[in-house]
Amino acid sequence: MNTDFVLYLAINTLVVIAVSPLFVSLIKKVKAWTQGRQGPSVFQTYFTLIKLLKKEVIYSPNSSRIMRVTPLVTMAAILVAALFVPLVFVPEPVGGMGNIILFMSLLALARFFMALAGLDAGSSFGGMGSSREMSISSIIEPTTIVVFAALAFVFKTLNIFDMFAISVSTGSPSLSTLILIGISLFIIIIVETSRIPVDNPETHLELTMIHEGMILEQSGRNLALMELSAAVKMTALMALLLNLIVPFGITTSLTLAGILIALILLVVKCSILTGIIGIFESSMAKKRFFQLPSLFAMAFFFSTLIIIIEVFS
Amino acid sequence: MIAELFILALLVLLAGTIFPLIAASLDRRSVRTISLSCTIVASILLGILSLVNLLSGDSVSFTLYQPIPAFSLSFVIDRLASFFLLIIAVVSACVALYFTEYIEHMDGESRRNLLCSCTSLFILAMVLVIASANTLAFFLFWELMAASSFLLVTYEYTHDETRKAGTFYFIMTQLSSLFVLLGIILLYTQTGSFAISPVYGGMTYLAILAFLALFAGFSIKAGIIPFHKWLPYAHPASPTPISALMSGVMLKIAVYGLVRFLLDVFTPDLWWGVLILAAGTASAVLGIIYALKEHDVKGMLAYSSIENIGIIFTGIGLSVIFTASNLPGLATLSLLGALFHSLNHAMFKSLLFLTAGSVVSATHTRDIEHMGGLAHRMPVTSALFFVGAVSIAALPPLNGFASELLIFMSFFSSVALVDPLFKVLLFICLALFALTSALSSACFVKAFGSIFLALPRSPESAVAEEVPRAMLIGPGILAAACILLGVCALQIFAFVGFAVPLPDMLLISLLLVSMAVLTYAVLYFTASREVRVSETWGCGTLSQQASAEYSGHGFSEPLDIIFSAIYRTRTTSERTFHDQKNCIFKEGTGEIRLLKVFEEYLYRPIAQQSMSITKSVSRFQNGCLDTYLLYVFVTIIALIIFLGWFA
Repeated sequence: MNTDFVLYLAINTLVVIAVSPLFVSLIKKVKAWTQGRQGPSVFQTYFTLIKLLKKEVIYSPNSSRIMRVTPLVTMAAILVAALFVPLVFVPEPVGGMGNIILFMSLLALARFFMALAGLDAGSSFGGMGSSREMSISSIIEPTTIVVFAALAFVFKTLNIFDMFAISVSTGSPSLSTLILIGISLFIIIIVETSRIPVDNPETHLELTMIHEGMILEQSGRNLALMELSAAVKMTALMALLLNLIVPFGITTSLTLAGILIALILLVVKCSILTGIIGIFESSMAKKRFFQLPSLFAMAFFFSTLIIIIEVFS
Repeated sequence: MIAELFILALLVLLAGTIFPLIAASLDRRSVRTISLSCTIVASILLGILSLVNLLSGDSVSFTLYQPIPAFSLSFVIDRLASFFLLIIAVVSACVALYFTEYIEHMDGESRRNLLCSCTSLFILAMVLVIASANTLAFFLFWELMAASSFLLVTYEYTHDETRKAGTFYFIMTQLSSLFVLLGIILLYTQTGSFAISPVYGGMTYLAILAFLALFAGFSIKAGIIPFHKWLPYAHPASPTPISALMSGVMLKIAVYGLVRFLLDVFTPDLWWGVLILAAGTASAVLGIIYALKEHDVKGMLAYSSIENIGIIFTGIGLSVIFTASNLPGLATLSLLGALFHSLNHAMFKSLLFLTAGSVVSATHTRDIEHMGGLAHRMPVTSALFFVGAVSIAALPPLNGFASELLIFMSFFSSVALVDPLFKVLLFICLALFALTSALSSACFVKAFGSIFLALPRSPESAVAEEVPRAMLIGPGILAAACILLGVCALQIFAFVGFAVPLPDMLLISLLLVSMAVLTYAVLYFTASREVRVSETWGCGTLSQQASAEYSGHGFSEPLDIIFSAIYRTRTTSERTFHDQKNCIFKEGTGEIRLLKVFEEYLYRPIAQQSMSITKSVSRFQNGCLDTYLLYVFVTIIALIIFLGWFA
């Protein structure tokens, strides 16, 4: 492991933690605007996190060690997963870092712990959230893997670092493939980050809650970790989409100026994407839970189409 | 050296078999402990010799006994055999260790000595199957394995359920033996010998038929859908350590058989690979979907075994496809994936079975709806089960992930295949494979959540206690193996001399740990450290009740609805009519139950057909001497005419 890579680890982790809460607030802001409200400040998520850190943690007497380790494990797994998606600087991959299946499995590891923590306290809300989350994640999985297979097919590599390096240096593949990858990845972002029409991140109503239901029992610093890890996950997924489709700005050499420019461009690109997500969310209602498979079937269709196009062309 | 060690291990196992038979009437703990210790010692010997042989890569062959020139009890221990011997050794040692304590809590007084004896015999048979150098010895020990496992399954023969399971198992396992025998005979007609040697001169129809027969035989033993039905019957019925052995090891013997014959005997065609892949994928997906619906903890583990065997067959199928398409690198990769998954499945499935057995013996129920809250009451067991659950859910950095990743990699590399139609087929299988892996994660969240988390849902589980130490050490070793095989997967492969494109899981694990430590440190210095244990909001209820919890059924309900096409139910209504004095004057039973598709549409029709055939045949046997004399007379006349005609 060389110094570049160690620096990469530090830079990527710091950047992703620093910018992620911003995008969560930005989506809220966009949604507020479309509803004719002013909305909270764009820095509101930072304030909320700081507030949560100051609060005490309450555990239910029924809860076990799972409840106590879940926030740490979730945060660690998602931070490591975020390391697989270079935000500003693409180093040479070391020791298989950047493997796209491992990326997906690290997110699954976090989800596994979260779902168990949802069941841990014995509250029916937590159980409901876990059950729905595991069901949704199971049926989106074939789509995710086919999208990733399509990516591997298009870029001829399984490694996200190499994919980014290819899309930076030689430019993206054909427009049609790009659009299809974009649509499929967008749907995966919506599902993985529990947004409308899959889940409503803003309410605690039992009809809608999936992700919120699972973390209902969390409090204080643990809740802060859960919120932050959800934000980091969203940023990592958005960066995956953006750096494949519009890779300009991301640097492959380690210079201060390059990284600063890349950082600014990243914030701009992600802000535009959060705007799109916000408008997308505002423009539709939450789907009924059992209508979700059809949405996933659509994503599956698009990603299979890429493969068929690539295979037969 | 290897040969001597091997024979010594066989003798120790034989001692473990015979000793309890001699002391059959003595209901003493010492008898059983000595027998099981023999198993442990033999397993350790086997483990040492297989590790040595695996690393050196030699092939040791020797003959034990040769009654006639055409047949000999000779053995070959090469790399493939040592790999499977290693699986047997590790699992048997841990299971026997666990068994020393578990068996003392079982019913059956001195009959338990026979159980020890049969366990030893079963392990002996499996070892001999693996080491057999010719097909006849292979079949002989295959039968011994089937017979001894049947005795083990029917240990609690006083229960109706067990008798039914035993019969079912016996029929299926004999069917498997029959197919294997057919395959061996067909092979003999091709090669003219019983040696496990390549069939030269292209694949004739008979050779293909031999493959199909062997494939069917091994599939039945391995529990590939649609031959899987014996697993969910036999596993819940048999004593837990036996389930662990059967699921962890015996299924792998079938995998060994398939791999051995594919590598050493046949030159497979492309469509063989497609057949194996299709069978594997179907088993994997359906296995886990059925597992989700199962609420008997051992039944669920049995279905999950079907799923995992499906994954192993998927890897083997891919390997055959790549071999036939002239891509030896990829073929090796997917075969390594399949074999590594066999090892991993042996580890985590026996771990899960053993810990589930501890839970069952503590709560006296197999229904996960009546468990709950055991994480507080059985902390070590719950931690061990947790390791198994994370492994089987294929989550990094444990071993289930490492082997499934290898198979995922081979799928992704199928870009190298020439035929575009094959690529599309493989992508469909890939999608199903991903679904399997995600569903198994959901299944084990449900299992762990229902068994160990929240409040106890029955009085028995409220007073459950941690099991004795021997029942923790056995699974503990397996859990350690799960972690080691996962975290050091890349290093282990490098050590045995294979370069695989796995990510460095050691690095990833280090990163995970350091991220967790960093997060903890940052929180320690910045956040409030106050912690309070108090009732959390329960939607207005005063205190939480177990009856209001989310149950296992509730957990899998969304998936039930999504896959409702697969879980079809059969509804019958139930009515009782009372007269004015409240006496029942008419009643009818009814039920809504899961349609057992394979049983009702495949097994039962075949069974009924064969029953009616046997019935018509049995009419010839009327027990009357005159009739039999007539048969003899007719036969002689027919023979005379036949000979006169042709000779």
